[in-house]
Amino acid sequence: MAKTAQEKIDAKKEKEYYKKHKKMYRTTPGDVVFNVINYLFFGVFTVSCIFPFYYLFINTISDNELVRTGHVNFYPMIVKGGKNIFGIMFNNYVALREVSDLARAFIVTISRTIIGTILMVLASAFVGYLVTQQEMWHRSFWYRFLVITMYFNAGLIPIYMNMELLGLTKNYLVYILPAIVQPYNIILVKTYIESIPGELEESAFIDGASYMQVFSKIIFPLSKPILATIAIFGAVGHWNSFQDSLLYMKGDTSLMTLQHRLYDYLTQASDIGSLMSQGVDTATAARKMEEALNAKVIRYTISMVSVIPIFLVYPFMQRYFEKGIMLGAVKG
Amino acid sequence: MKDEKTELSGSLNIAYMIQRILIVLVAGLMFFPFMNPARICGMISDKISIFTSAISYGTLTDDLGRAIEQGWVDETVFFILFAGALLALLGIIATGAGACMSLGNLKFKRTGALITLLGGVVELVGYVICFVSYNMLNSGDMTPTQFASKLEKKIEPMFPSGVFVYGAAAVVVILIALLLLAKLPKPEAEEKYEMESKYKLFLMFLPFAFLAFLFCYLPLYGWRYAFFDYNLGDSLSMDKFVGMKWFGYLFKNSATRNQVAQVIINTLGISGLNIITQWLPMVFAVFLCEMGSMKFRRFVQAFTTIPNFISWVLVYAVALSIFSTDGFINTFSKSIGLLAEDAQGKNYLMGDHFTWVKMWAWGTWKGVGWSAIIYIAGISGIDQSLYEAATVDGAGRFQKIWHITMPGLLPTFFVLLLMAIAGILSNGLDQYLVFANADNMAHINVLDLYVYNLGLGDGNIPLSTVVGVFKSVISVILLFSANALSKALRGESIV
Repeated sequence: MAKTAQEKIDAKKEKEYYKKHKKMYRTTPGDVVFNVINYLFFGVFTVSCIFPFYYLFINTISDNELVRTGHVNFYPMIVKGGKNIFGIMFNNYVALREVSDLARAFIVTISRTIIGTILMVLASAFVGYLVTQQEMWHRSFWYRFLVITMYFNAGLIPIYMNMELLGLTKNYLVYILPAIVQPYNIILVKTYIESIPGELEESAFIDGASYMQVFSKIIFPLSKPILATIAIFGAVGHWNSFQDSLLYMKGDTSLMTLQHRLYDYLTQASDIGSLMSQGVDTATAARKMEEALNAKVIRYTISMVSVIPIFLVYPFMQRYFEKGIMLGAVKG
Repeated sequence: MKDEKTELSGSLNIAYMIQRILIVLVAGLMFFPFMNPARICGMISDKISIFTSAISYGTLTDDLGRAIEQGWVDETVFFILFAGALLALLGIIATGAGACMSLGNLKFKRTGALITLLGGVVELVGYVICFVSYNMLNSGDMTPTQFASKLEKKIEPMFPSGVFVYGAAAVVVILIALLLLAKLPKPEAEEKYEMESKYKLFLMFLPFAFLAFLFCYLPLYGWRYAFFDYNLGDSLSMDKFVGMKWFGYLFKNSATRNQVAQVIINTLGISGLNIITQWLPMVFAVFLCEMGSMKFRRFVQAFTTIPNFISWVLVYAVALSIFSTDGFINTFSKSIGLLAEDAQGKNYLMGDHFTWVKMWAWGTWKGVGWSAIIYIAGISGIDQSLYEAATVDGAGRFQKIWHITMPGLLPTFFVLLLMAIAGILSNGLDQYLVFANADNMAHINVLDLYVYNLGLGDGNIPLSTVVGVFKSVISVILLFSANALSKALRGESIV
């Protein structure tokens, strides 16, 4: 985790402060008990947040037969010379190529993440800038026109029927167009731009710059921190998107997103599970069980693949989301 | 910069006003399906607008596939129709662009009038082509099979009366554009394209307002389905208008009423659990900040926030890997001998025990670390001298938490609590959809899931729209009540 210089200085100051006032902060037995309980609780909770992902991961890099028999619990295992030993293998990730339609789902998801995020960020930046311009014709009306959409919602079915009306069902554009104008992000950008000294803009106008020039040369570069924040949230949202694919791609599997695919694989497997509990004839059940168990590893692997990008961008996100959530608290 | 604003005479202003109103009306009307000039036969859906007809040939001829395949109709008719619709759309866009330009100076106005004129003509040609395709379908040289099928197979050529409404508007627009071109004074040679900045800014904003209109305001038009007997794929004609039938149905039909009552109880139950544990993230943050080791704090914060960024589908995948029959809990129990090696494991995700609590627990697991961030930031914003003073006065750890930290965080807590109460009906769909199964359906069925299943699963569009309408309206009322409450108590609004 990258620490900024300021954070380092702060930490140092804090340490010195505690050293200086050591007497005031002497620990009592009560403190020890409190600390033990406190650390224990947070330790356990943190493990509960990490372990599932770790568990998924070790199962995808172990021998499939050992996974099937449930031997892989805490570390990856492979079979070597008839013995189960610690070891890893990546066969499952290679085998993913065989899983039908997965590559397509990947392309759909990656492309919508990139295109959708870029358009959303540009639109938020530009609209956020426009609504700070007092001269705009009926500015406050148009600003409210956008913001008010955050507070009402026509409902799932009318929205679905609207997409149908616009010819956007079974259409890739349904992933991109509705997500371009995001009132909440526009508010964030607007608040941020208002904190930029107005003199910068004014001097540019005096030098004869146009609105577009001021936006692209001054406002856009200066608001990069907030744009990075909304970009990250937007990208995660696109990557995780599941509902729009579920609603609008009924009967058109070629445009499903990754999460929708994963959902399909998961529910297929659990259907087989429920068949078992209801007790269909054993031969069919055994065969289906076999498939389900192979499906288990594949399921884990697909889950892992769709979670890895989040983990990869996560360290970058951390720097920004605190800022984002605080700015969100002072909207207006 | 010299000010060259020419005052237009009154009659020209009126002409402009009429033209702009017409153009805006047509631009709005083109998203509504009634009077679609491209609807030349009964087999073209009456739910598509001229806009949709023009951008998607597939949607336009959605129901005609079989008719074309069997040779009942000639497909070229529909190619021509599509071309007509497309021309009309392009024309409408051009008239709109011209109208936008007319906000500028004289030079802009003249160019704008010209573009409006051209757009109007193109638009008109488009409508004429639509009409021609109707004539081709209706009469002309048809093979006997085509003629028979026209009568029997319900191709139902329909007189596109919309052509005349749209066409009349286009003619007026064209005439006004001609008038403007004739009457507007010629700009001086050196005049440049200029526009007042207020209009410039507005025109830059317009496309985004348009998107918001399309995806946030236009769906409200879908509320009309609440007043019709409608099945997915049907046509929506006035003889299916049933007024408030579905609103009454919700209360009169006892099976539906019981179901909806259960759904509302589930919704309120799960939301209620979330609301009464709304303090958890705050306490989480407070105790996290009580830990001395900065490194450990960072570590905890980093990893407890991760689940928030994972989709519900992935949470479900995780849940399966841990709690299903062949998941971690079962295999681990087997490996330490708690469970016989050949025993059928227990699937903890099936079954209907404590469903509400389980859903609450998943939500909390996913969200608590994330929700705590705002409180952590709040704690670091509290004046440290308060703590020092309290320490000097002999206050213990819990006294400091109770008397300094908590009061400092309460305003934030209050706002978030009010927002949670305002959103009591909106649990979201994803979580409940992925965790729902045959066993727990009775207690997991929240409003969002119910509407989804009712509308897109069972295809009962009107009833699910009615439920959605109630939900939307109540949510807005709740939000504004919460806002009013906040204003009264704290003097600050939350929206």
